[in-house]
Amino acid sequence: MKQVTMTVNGRSVTQLVEPRTSLADFVREQLRFTGTHLGCEHGVCGACTVLIDGEPQRSCITYAVSCDSAQVTTIEGFDDDALMADMRTAFHENHALQCGYCTPGMLVTARDIVRRLPDADEKRVRLELSGNLCRCTGYVGIVRAILSVLAKRKAA
Amino acid sequence: MSDKGIGARILRKEDHRHLHGRANFTADIAMPNMLNLAFVRSGIAHGRLVRVTKPADAADRVFAFDDLVGVKTLRAVSKLPTYKLADYPCLATGKVKFVGEPIAACLADSRAEAEDLAARVAVEIDPLPPVMDMVASRAPGTAIVHEDWSDNIALTIQIPSDIDEVVRTAPVKVSGEYKMSRHAMVPMEGRAVLAYWDDRQDQLVVYSATQVPHLNRAGISDILDIEQRQVRVIAPDVGGGFGLKALVFPEEIVACWLALRTRRPVRWIEDRVEHLIADANCREHHYRISAYADRTGKILALEGEVTVDAGAYSVYPFTNGLEAAMAIGNLPGPYHVPAYRGKAYTVTTNKPPLAPYRGVARPGVAFAIEQTIDAIARAVGRDPFDVRLENLVPAAAMPYTSVAKKTFDSGDYPEALRRVARMLDLPGLRERQKRREPDGRLIGVGFGCYTEQTAHGTSVFASWGIQLVPGFEQATVRLTPDGGLEVRVGVQSHGQGMETTIAQVASTTLGIDPARVNVVHGDTGLTPFSTGTYASRSIVMAGGATSRACKVLATRLVRIGAHLMQCEAKDVQVKDGKVVGPRASVEFSEIGRVWYMRPDELPPDVDMGGLECTVGYRPDPDYGTFAYASHGAVVAVDPDTGVVEVLDYVICEDCGTMVNPMVVEGQAFGGAVQGIGTALYEESPYDDQGQPLHSTFADYTLPGATEAPMIRIDHMISPSPHTEYGIKGTGEGGNIPTSGLLANAVNDALRSLGAEVHETPITPRRVLEAIARARKAAA
Ligand code: FES
Ligand code: FES
Repeated sequence: MKQVTMTVNGRSVTQLVEPRTSLADFVREQLRFTGTHLGCEHGVCGACTVLIDGEPQRSCITYAVSCDSAQVTTIEGFDDDALMADMRTAFHENHALQCGYCTPGMLVTARDIVRRLPDADEKRVRLELSGNLCRCTGYVGIVRAILSVLAKRKAA
Repeated sequence: MSDKGIGARILRKEDHRHLHGRANFTADIAMPNMLNLAFVRSGIAHGRLVRVTKPADAADRVFAFDDLVGVKTLRAVSKLPTYKLADYPCLATGKVKFVGEPIAACLADSRAEAEDLAARVAVEIDPLPPVMDMVASRAPGTAIVHEDWSDNIALTIQIPSDIDEVVRTAPVKVSGEYKMSRHAMVPMEGRAVLAYWDDRQDQLVVYSATQVPHLNRAGISDILDIEQRQVRVIAPDVGGGFGLKALVFPEEIVACWLALRTRRPVRWIEDRVEHLIADANCREHHYRISAYADRTGKILALEGEVTVDAGAYSVYPFTNGLEAAMAIGNLPGPYHVPAYRGKAYTVTTNKPPLAPYRGVARPGVAFAIEQTIDAIARAVGRDPFDVRLENLVPAAAMPYTSVAKKTFDSGDYPEALRRVARMLDLPGLRERQKRREPDGRLIGVGFGCYTEQTAHGTSVFASWGIQLVPGFEQATVRLTPDGGLEVRVGVQSHGQGMETTIAQVASTTLGIDPARVNVVHGDTGLTPFSTGTYASRSIVMAGGATSRACKVLATRLVRIGAHLMQCEAKDVQVKDGKVVGPRASVEFSEIGRVWYMRPDELPPDVDMGGLECTVGYRPDPDYGTFAYASHGAVVAVDPDTGVVEVLDYVICEDCGTMVNPMVVEGQAFGGAVQGIGTALYEESPYDDQGQPLHSTFADYTLPGATEAPMIRIDHMISPSPHTEYGIKGTGEGGNIPTSGLLANAVNDALRSLGAEVHETPITPRRVLEAIARARKAAA
């Protein structure tokens, strides 16, 4: 066991973890932030995407011990984030989720696309989404939702 | 009527919790004192299990077949003649029959420690020659999977018919061989179970990622031999199912048994590698088709032989025979086929069991039949669009009983195809094909048409003679004291949006705002019995039952309301969420208050059933209502790399009355992209020793956002004459035609090269091989 201290969703936590524990298992099982989902545990599906120091990362292939002193934001940590609020509304209005399993990871990636690439077109949005798999929606609603937030930001 | 009821594109009630990470999937539930479970699995496809050696220091935490005292094997029965039982043991015994088959169960506090323990269990297996090729293994003299069988054929079905005269005289004959490859279903949440014994309730409580909680309960009780009253199955949020979660599997039974034995909560969460190699697969079909036609391409007769590779065991309760039965019964598709002869085999091999996946057999059928239609068109020198249009069952023929004895209830199949061709601009595409592309790629157009029998009920399932035959669906509705509504249904919603659409049905019947309706589903402790969510049945069945129950509730509201307004019940009606009389109206909340809190104000002859009732429903007739659609696509094929890109994809669908067009579209889009997966990417290949060559998402390709087109959709609405509000099912249809039409589009593109591909997935390798074959033949 090793002691780590990190900030998760704005709160500092200090816990003992096994060196082999992934960040995903750490936030899910030890901190009970279960909104971070596991779809593959080998870094392909993106369901486990969280922000580490502001950048989207796959928590399933990140060790918790490597996040000592990092700022981690899971889907539960965006309640005061205006961009995430817009993205949630857009997902809702565009039927961008069905079972909801991919949704937390999708939202973290989608928010990051809008933040980094205000001029992204549909093709670029799809390319940026290639690290997030959804089995239900066929991506139609997801892509539309992201494009609608981009358009709204541009118009503002 | 309310403007949020049936037909309204209202947003989903279930979204909020998912968008905020507050959903509750089985793996999200933790309990004090909980144990986690991991399995030791076979690394050998076929072999004699000689010995399982447990680590001496942990023998009490490792369980093999001999430890499972009182646990039956999973036995899927069928009354279809020739069907042989292929019992699925909960842990392997005697022989192992596929790589990934569970051999031992290991318990520890965490999953990681359970896996550590599993790695220390020694398994000794004497390998036997594996049976891997379904067509070859039909022949006598091959190795046999089930020792007490004389061959590997699990089921043979014949549709005999005398077509010899047509075979002799038809001016046009086309024949082809078509293969749809085995793949995995891949809901983003794998299977999951958490079971614990509740002493107060005298019940085993099972949280399960299931589409069919009541059926699950029946299975658990049967296999563990405990009373059904002692089992409660709760499906919390479920992350997609697609058919996989409509079955009962060994791992779930073992978890339940361990919870009974240890009296501690036991959790098993399937990981992705387990899903890809050890869970049920789908789709592996082989077809030999001959079609006979006149010189215009009008079909005169059809002859088909279907072989289904069902893997090692028969899945509980739907059996390994359902795929073949569905395939042979649906082969003529939406076309007018005057004469038909068919034969279907289900074959056992050393692979994971095959199970029905979204569309159930019909994607394979459409893969074969849609390519057959294009082959006829090529043979008579006409556009496949025209040949298809002329062979579709016309609107004037409805209701139409097909040669395979299916009765299509309503619709205009040719019109759907015409609309798809218009959306694609077929004449423009044909011109574009003549001009050739600047980038050297080849453009192809493909069409696919289908009917989907949905919500088929008692008569259909009884004819197959499987364990559980769906009957009357029930819904319980209850007005709450403050005028809200609870609806309880036994189906399970795991992406289909039924917390919203069932509320919309109630809204139409009672005029209540869907926001004031709670739909309770997926819990055997809280809902009336239902066989569950499969066969595109839920909105037809549970929606129909909800409507009927609301109508009965309305009569009770009217009686009390009339009394309160001091008028005749005949002058009173339920409207806009109120009870309305000639001069006044009463809010539901007032009626609720009187029934629950002030019974002294009730009429003396009040119905003592009160503001709660359970009503059953079944469409009449119950053989299923037929949704249908046409899909069309444009692809670009790079002849140098073999890469196929879907440039455009359009759908015109008709599922009768739409409860929520947004949800219908979501189902169609999602289904079609799954179909693109089957057509172009997804495959679970094995080497000749039965070793899976796909164990992660790195070697198993799912369609991502870059592979999926922005699908366009149009709707037609032909209400079913047999169902409540004319609703038809729509959950599965989206992926039925996709592989067939994409194969047609690719082959249309390759036409100038004389190359054809008839096997999924249409990977670059298969395209290049087809081109090489064509070049060789031409040389
Ligand atoms: S769970 Fe982390 S990428 Fe799939
Ligand atoms: S909504 Fe089910 S996986 Fe995306």
